[in-house]
Amino acid sequence: MQDRKLLTVAILLGPALLGLVIFRVYPIVLAFFESFFTTLRGERQFAGLGNYALLFSDSAFWHSLWVTLWFNLIINPLQVGLALILALMFVQKRPGIGFYRFLFLIPIGVSLPTAVIIWRIMLLPDGLVNGLLGTIGVEPVRFLTSPSFALYSIIAIATWKGISYWMIFIVGGLQNISPEIYEAARLEGATPFQRLWLITLPLLKPTLLFVLVADVTINFLLFAPIFMITQGGPRGSTNVLMYEAYKSGFAFGDMGRAMAIVVCLVAILLVIVALQFRLLNGRANQGDAA
Amino acid sequence: MKPILGARILRNLPTTLLYILVAVLFVLPLWWAAVSSFRPNDVIFRDLFPFSLRALLPQPFTLDAYVAVFQKGFGSIIANTMLVAGLTMILGLIVNGAAGFAFAVFDFRYKKTILSIVVISFMLPFEAIAMPLYTVVQQLGWIDRVVALIVPSVANGLAIFLFYQFFQQVPKDYYEAARLEGAGMLRILWSIYIPLSMPTCISAGLMLFIFQWEAFLWPLLAMPAQEFKVIQVGMASFQEQYTTAWNELFGVAVITALIPIVLLLPLQKFYVQGLAGSGIKG
Repeated sequence: MQDRKLLTVAILLGPALLGLVIFRVYPIVLAFFESFFTTLRGERQFAGLGNYALLFSDSAFWHSLWVTLWFNLIINPLQVGLALILALMFVQKRPGIGFYRFLFLIPIGVSLPTAVIIWRIMLLPDGLVNGLLGTIGVEPVRFLTSPSFALYSIIAIATWKGISYWMIFIVGGLQNISPEIYEAARLEGATPFQRLWLITLPLLKPTLLFVLVADVTINFLLFAPIFMITQGGPRGSTNVLMYEAYKSGFAFGDMGRAMAIVVCLVAILLVIVALQFRLLNGRANQGDAA
Repeated sequence: MKPILGARILRNLPTTLLYILVAVLFVLPLWWAAVSSFRPNDVIFRDLFPFSLRALLPQPFTLDAYVAVFQKGFGSIIANTMLVAGLTMILGLIVNGAAGFAFAVFDFRYKKTILSIVVISFMLPFEAIAMPLYTVVQQLGWIDRVVALIVPSVANGLAIFLFYQFFQQVPKDYYEAARLEGAGMLRILWSIYIPLSMPTCISAGLMLFIFQWEAFLWPLLAMPAQEFKVIQVGMASFQEQYTTAWNELFGVAVITALIPIVLLLPLQKFYVQGLAGSGIKG
């Protein structure tokens, strides 16, 4: 009987676990392993920490790391903040809200590459955005080909596409807050701003933390817009680590370097995620004590 | 009553303007893309400098862009993607549903450990492992083969978790009672658990389908010969090939966006529930 049960479990779990082990766990192990090898004239050779040593002495890597960090320092707070505002707008009861809600959800159905195709044409020097800016007398801007604008244009495109998705999670969090708390606060004479600052945000913190962590992991690995619009340029201004890894492995055939970058990327990601949990939990405890 | 209403409208004006502004920001790019896809290529940029509202109207109206897009083989790209996404969805529902069921109904050794591996596996995005996965798939000899697009995406931690959460809520009595009546495992699954889990099946199925529909980096790496293209990669290479066929690019974008939107609209509720399920974890 016991054996039969075990067999049933094995049959039911087997395919899924096998899939996860081969296609999720094994690649991570392999990335780590392969980052110690290099390919010289078609021969695979053990390089020890050679790939990492080369990487860390390469100014292109440090520049790419800097671009990645700067990109994330801007895009993540921006997306979470805007998603929060959008969620607060989403849950209001006002005339025509059903229609607005429908419009707010539209970008979810639009894939990132689709958004990229449309926005690339929107942002051309003679595109719609410059046309509209022209009506208030702004000279055409080279949004995607100028080193000072390209990164921010990519941030704008990814944000346009992303915030509706994150909004859904925050709306879920908002709906979990009991209306009685708001009612009590209103009777106490709290202003709408006080209600937001003292009730909504503290109660929403677990949701916001989840969204922030999930958003950071996605943006650290953002690839499609850079591949499709700027290819890391102009002058390396959008050359994030993810694209640098792709270039190393798939344009220059240096898989060892690509794997070393992926390992660095995942390591940085883990540190940041751990830090975020630490920071936000720490602040929560302080709040409780006060 | 009237003056008060007027005052209220005035007081609400800033918020109303905010709503309209956000709505325009979301809709305008799609509107312009959709409208321009119905115009001849040479007029798309005509009314922008100086800007006139004619730039936002489908005039002169033509279906040339769509005809051209399908002549250039976009139809087969859609069919390819439907095949990949559809197969992933069906296999994924079976494989992940079975696993979620096993986690929920049975007790076995190391269950907690295995379950936490499943959870961790869906917190790490697919992009993080796409490049090492290439090496794995290369070792399997699957590069440029359609299996490479389907098989690695079938087992999905989030889908397993959704099913696990759902099956946990089904009272164990159902299972015991059916067992006592002598019903076999398959019978129990088929006549009790599967009908009950329909909403979860829709949530998980949608998630798997959309995941494949939006996949970009992995198909790009796994199919270097680009003989079998799926939609996002097909769209990107279309952009590379026909750089200035603006109306056709817009047409491609409209088609690519429209299919999941049409799918999501009636099933929106299930999709949001699926997302919420993943949020509970965090």
